[in-house]
Amino acid sequence: MAEKKYWKGIEEKEQLEGFRQIANKEFAEQLPILNSITEPISTGKSNRRDFLKMLGFSVTAATIAASCEMPVRKSIPYIWRPEEVAPGIANYYATAFYQNGDYCSVVVKTRESRPIKVEGNKLSVVTKGGTNARAQASVLSLYDGARYKSPKKGKDPIGWDVADKEIGEKLKSIATAGGKIVLFSSSIISPSTKAVIADFKTAYPTTEHLVYDGISYSGILDANEKSFGKRLIPSYNFAKAKVIVGVGADFLGTWLSPVEFAADYSVNRKVSKSKRDMSRHIHIESVPTLTGYKADTRIPVKPSDELAAMVDLYSVIVTGGSAANPKFGKVAEELKSAGAGNALLVCGSNDVHAQVLANAINNALGSYGSTLTWDRAYNTKQGSDKSITALHDGLNDGSIKAVLFYETNPAFTSPIKGLAEAVKKAELSVSFANRLDETSMVCQYVCPDNHWLESWNDVEPKAGIFNTIQPTISKLFDTRPFAETLLKWSGKEGTYYEYIQKYWENNLYKKQSKYNGFWAFWDNTVQDGEFVADAPASTSSFNSSSVADALTATASAASSFGDMQVKFYESIALGDGYWADNPWLQELPDPVSKVTWDNYIVVNPTWLVKNGYNLDPDFKENRYGVGQLSANGQTVELPIVGVPGTPMGVFGIALGYGRTAVAHKELKVGKNVFQMLTKSGDSFVNIAKASVTKTDKSEQLAITQTHFNITLKDLGGVKTRKVVKETTLKEYNKSLEENKKFSSGNEDREEILEEMVTLYNEHNRPGPQWTMVIDLNTCIGCGACVIACNAENNVPVVGKDQVRRSREMHWMRIDRYYTGEVDNPDVVYQPMLCQHCNNAPCENVCPVAATNHSDEGINQMIYNRCIGTRYCANNCPYKVRRFNWYDYQQADAFDKQYGTSNDQNVASETLGLHEPLTRMVLNPDVTVRSRGVMEKCSFCAQRLQDAKLVAKKEERPLHDGEATTACQTSCPTGAITFGDRHDKESNVAALYTDSRAFGVIEELHTMPNVLYLTQVRNRDEEKKYEVLDYYHQKA
Amino acid sequence: MHAYESEFREPLITGMDKSYTKITDDLVAPTERNSALWWIAVLLSGAGALFFVFCLTWTVWFGIGTWGLNKTIGWAWDITNFVWWIGIGHAGTLISAILLLFRQRYRTGINRAAEAMTIFAVICAGMFPIFHMGRVWDALFIFPLPNTRGPLWVNFNSPLLWDVFAVSTYFSVSLLFWYTGLMPDFATVRDRSKGKFRKWFYNMMSFGWMGTAKQWQRFESLSLILAGLATPLVLSVHTIVSFDFATSVIPGWHTTIFPPYFVAGAIFSGFAMVETLMLISRKLFNLEDYITVNHIESMNKIIVLTGSIVGIAYLTELFIAWYSGYLYEQFAFYNRVLGKYYWAYAIMMTCNVVTPQFYWLKPLRRNLYVTFILSIFVNIGMWFERFVIIVTSLADDFLPSSWAYFSPTWVDIGIFLGSICLFLFLFLLFSRLFPTIAIAEVKAIFRTSSEVAKAERAKKANSPTGGFVGLQHVGPLDKDSKH
Repeated sequence: MAEKKYWKGIEEKEQLEGFRQIANKEFAEQLPILNSITEPISTGKSNRRDFLKMLGFSVTAATIAASCEMPVRKSIPYIWRPEEVAPGIANYYATAFYQNGDYCSVVVKTRESRPIKVEGNKLSVVTKGGTNARAQASVLSLYDGARYKSPKKGKDPIGWDVADKEIGEKLKSIATAGGKIVLFSSSIISPSTKAVIADFKTAYPTTEHLVYDGISYSGILDANEKSFGKRLIPSYNFAKAKVIVGVGADFLGTWLSPVEFAADYSVNRKVSKSKRDMSRHIHIESVPTLTGYKADTRIPVKPSDELAAMVDLYSVIVTGGSAANPKFGKVAEELKSAGAGNALLVCGSNDVHAQVLANAINNALGSYGSTLTWDRAYNTKQGSDKSITALHDGLNDGSIKAVLFYETNPAFTSPIKGLAEAVKKAELSVSFANRLDETSMVCQYVCPDNHWLESWNDVEPKAGIFNTIQPTISKLFDTRPFAETLLKWSGKEGTYYEYIQKYWENNLYKKQSKYNGFWAFWDNTVQDGEFVADAPASTSSFNSSSVADALTATASAASSFGDMQVKFYESIALGDGYWADNPWLQELPDPVSKVTWDNYIVVNPTWLVKNGYNLDPDFKENRYGVGQLSANGQTVELPIVGVPGTPMGVFGIALGYGRTAVAHKELKVGKNVFQMLTKSGDSFVNIAKASVTKTDKSEQLAITQTHFNITLKDLGGVKTRKVVKETTLKEYNKSLEENKKFSSGNEDREEILEEMVTLYNEHNRPGPQWTMVIDLNTCIGCGACVIACNAENNVPVVGKDQVRRSREMHWMRIDRYYTGEVDNPDVVYQPMLCQHCNNAPCENVCPVAATNHSDEGINQMIYNRCIGTRYCANNCPYKVRRFNWYDYQQADAFDKQYGTSNDQNVASETLGLHEPLTRMVLNPDVTVRSRGVMEKCSFCAQRLQDAKLVAKKEERPLHDGEATTACQTSCPTGAITFGDRHDKESNVAALYTDSRAFGVIEELHTMPNVLYLTQVRNRDEEKKYEVLDYYHQKA
Repeated sequence: MHAYESEFREPLITGMDKSYTKITDDLVAPTERNSALWWIAVLLSGAGALFFVFCLTWTVWFGIGTWGLNKTIGWAWDITNFVWWIGIGHAGTLISAILLLFRQRYRTGINRAAEAMTIFAVICAGMFPIFHMGRVWDALFIFPLPNTRGPLWVNFNSPLLWDVFAVSTYFSVSLLFWYTGLMPDFATVRDRSKGKFRKWFYNMMSFGWMGTAKQWQRFESLSLILAGLATPLVLSVHTIVSFDFATSVIPGWHTTIFPPYFVAGAIFSGFAMVETLMLISRKLFNLEDYITVNHIESMNKIIVLTGSIVGIAYLTELFIAWYSGYLYEQFAFYNRVLGKYYWAYAIMMTCNVVTPQFYWLKPLRRNLYVTFILSIFVNIGMWFERFVIIVTSLADDFLPSSWAYFSPTWVDIGIFLGSICLFLFLFLLFSRLFPTIAIAEVKAIFRTSSEVAKAERAKKANSPTGGFVGLQHVGPLDKDSKH
């Protein structure tokens, strides 16, 4: 048989004239040179002129092709593969996250050179591998379409050369004229940047550097200056504390260094057979925080009584007097009885006097040197409230001629009115913001800084502890590091990267002896991400001279706020509003109220009823009555939410909401209340006298878990439902001594397991059996795992409207249960994810077998088999399955395949998350689910597979701890243990049979692969302080 | 099937003017008459049916998110409507198959319409499991088709798959049964037809029925065989539908009482729907002589029986919930009665259990207005029964953290109302094109159960021969022995 001829078109088959002409030519299009040649060369009749033309063309073309740099378009596969990049294999780079006062030492996962996930750095001595929600979510901000893409003058993009020239000239003229230049920033902890600023000051001697933090720590810094002579915050060592008393300090959620504190705090909160002791945590606070909810004893008080508590504690502990309030007296006794160096008092107030009292108390308790140490003082908070006043006044009276804003947004966070207008008065105003914010909007110039994932930098979060920040991606836009810009303007040559190296070589290299040669030191530090120098010598003696004043001032402040008070607190997701443009964080349910996408007024539920609001909001639409709150001459209208544990007459409003300079209208949620802060001395305190009046309005809140619907104590109680289990330390230890198989609080498991009979033979599963054990005792409910899961598994953001319709997509959620009285409940946080039941109700109901069980114990979803009957979700007793009601990720859309109208409810569209830029954050290992399919936690199957492959390639068994889930690694307290329980040596195998381990509603015979450890409270009955009666009377 | 019939039984065909010809005239008349009212009704319901199509298109185009469902409540109006329609579809088969086997003569007046109703109700019902799928374009995955996806098969453990088989079987058998019965009547219509097209059309529809003895014999055999096949289906379809819930773990669903309870409920609602439709048709098409108060009363007796069964089932559920000592079950039922959907439970109890009890009283049972209102009530009640079972059980199940509330959107409502319009549209077409009463079968009982026959026999009874007259062909009955 003859060879078959294949042709690709009629013209080829028929050998049409045109086709032959083209086919015979080397270039499909005529070369331009050929037009200018009279006779074709092939005829051999070319003349001299043509020869010269051809020669000239060839030489020029060869020169251009050989020497000129062509734009390089990178795409996969690489022709010359960069040494470090293998398509499909992730690279990890150690770096540090420091944004807006939050610090975490991290490792960034990159795929094909783009960062997609932040993991904790286990080598870190500070954060110990933990992260928080904000660090996890920061990777999304890298790909934010609202980032500044080049320098700007007003609204017009300009080049860096123009910006440098214009701003440089203005700065010079202002400086020569003696006009004041202000560099206004949040706390800068980079030693190199500080050196750059010093250089800038040398170049422009009229420069003043003002530091202001949106969430101010001015009070504690000033107090320490008074008490110890240094404006620093000592290291809090929760791991050493046996008795911890928190007064209005949300140290596990937001206060000072929550990731570090959570890790340290959990050390003494873990109990087991071998470690039977546990710290005792008493929390005195007004508006409930997750820290208060985790305390063994929580004493709800009015905000002003947080100050009164300090006075009482002082009088009992320091002066040996008596407490005006017996409850505080009891607390004081407990602190005293802890013994020297075992107690720790943490005061969260921004009032200098209260902090001076805290210092005096801690000094009297002998905390300094043990639970509080000066050798590793914090650099992360340096701001002073005087700065904002100085800026405001200076701009208004014209003394500040030029102002530069770096990592700060005072136009939004300023407690003083009219800052934005004041900025406009400056001769020169420059913002270094890398994305849209209120301050950069009113500045003349925007000189955008790189995102931290694009930058070289260094940080010193605590004295002598240094981290390098290395870029994990080349910069996406025409931005430039802040410090490099300052260097340019100071007239210095070179890049900031070189500057950092020089700084390290000159300053830090000397502080170590491990490495010989700077480059060895530098490379290793960059690889580890951390360099720990010897702690600077520090001795501090307590100076009690300011205590007497502080005592009277605190006492008078405590009585000056009246009966109705409001406390403004930091939102765990949004901080001071810095993160308000991050949709992942906006959709993170608040750990206390479970509200997303909004701020609101927190009140006592009983108050709610007494004042004519509905206790149970209209559950059909989640409608909440709106109240008008007035404080410090300002009013704000917000929906009112009853939160158990809030004292009567106390209101709480989260700061950080109400941002207006954001790219999408969906992000403009809540109200800004910064200007309602009360000025007290030099600082602004977050308490104010308040009154609330009812309005006729109501508002819908996107709340993921409603409060009060467990109405049937006997029938629906959570404890009887065996959802969560708890006990006290005493009871737990007693059951250990009695050698019980199931410890106190978990006794009923014995019967449940006994009654679990089956007719079927057990499956033989020789491979790993993936198992997760979550310790309810150390889970603090912070939500880091929720965001980590979002990032790892491409979980879509659905937006406020969809959350309100109970359609949030989080694979991992944190259930919050109350027990006890509404006025002072006990709280249990329970992370809830797919339980990977070995006898899963969801699996047998799927008509098309789209969900099934792997022999490693994972309940798997086959997305492209799923037809979306939702039967599995209905039959899931844990309600962890999530359905794609819309095309949330625009997975189906080939450039708006459906037109625009179907996007009306899809947040990815309205938030710009579907844009190619933002989609770079997607994890390529995880399928992006399309509309109409079910999804749920996969135990991070892609990570397990990755770990297995690594082990397989190295021809060895998988070791415990190699395969991890995203939630597990993000947890700052290590509450989540994951592994193969068939590996008898593994941690999880031990915990699986622990006497505290139980499965949620196990009696259904679901045989979950996720177990929980009972919550243990270090509290005897007599130590549970009842609610202070007078709150009821005064209401 | 002629047998002795007590003279005390009320006639099933009333009117002294009846004869075989008259019956043919009366029953074929609706297909031969043009009626403005019919046109208005068919246009209105047709518009509604188009809206149904519109709402389904909307759903497929934009996503199931256009419904009111959420992460906790994955089924609500969709499956409620499915079960409701399937239940309504039960009366037809019950009447045609089981009543045929039990030789209940009153079935002849209502069986054709009831069977048609079954077909249309099952068509409506079938829409919901299809369109409730998130990816309806992949609906073929539910069929055990040979495929190239490796050894990938459907999940035979899933009750939803059983539904596929149960409902499709039920639909096929019902359709066959219905059509078989229609063939002789189509021939009757054909024989009276004047127009050429009309003749051709009905001839085709009747498969060229000649009315030969052999054909009648085969017709009777086939009817019996199909009746035998359909009888277990009456019980099995709703049993299997109830398995969707009974085999799950959700409290309020996981109940062994469901199969009989669902079947009784289905018959209950099916008869109610037959009554609703027949009360209107008998008036519109002047069929009062063929669908008599006697028919209505018989159906009302079944309604009070099945309604009471359903009522007992409700109470049993409550009792068992209490008696089980099982927390979740107790909560589910407490919540069902007194929880946030208490109103739905109240409507269900009132319409399904309380109001049908009026039928114990004969005057009410025979009152057409009361019957009409109560039949609507039953349909409302039975819709709410399914809603209560599906939604209240899902809304508050095991973990209080996930409890939620369902509110329908306009699409939910549109699809439901649209499906009713589609049903009415199809029924109207049927009532105009097909003989709504089985002519042949009515004629079969003319000799035994008509007023005419009874009067003749009474006359004979007074005559000198007296006594038992049996089934003699007497008087007007012999007038047209041609048919």
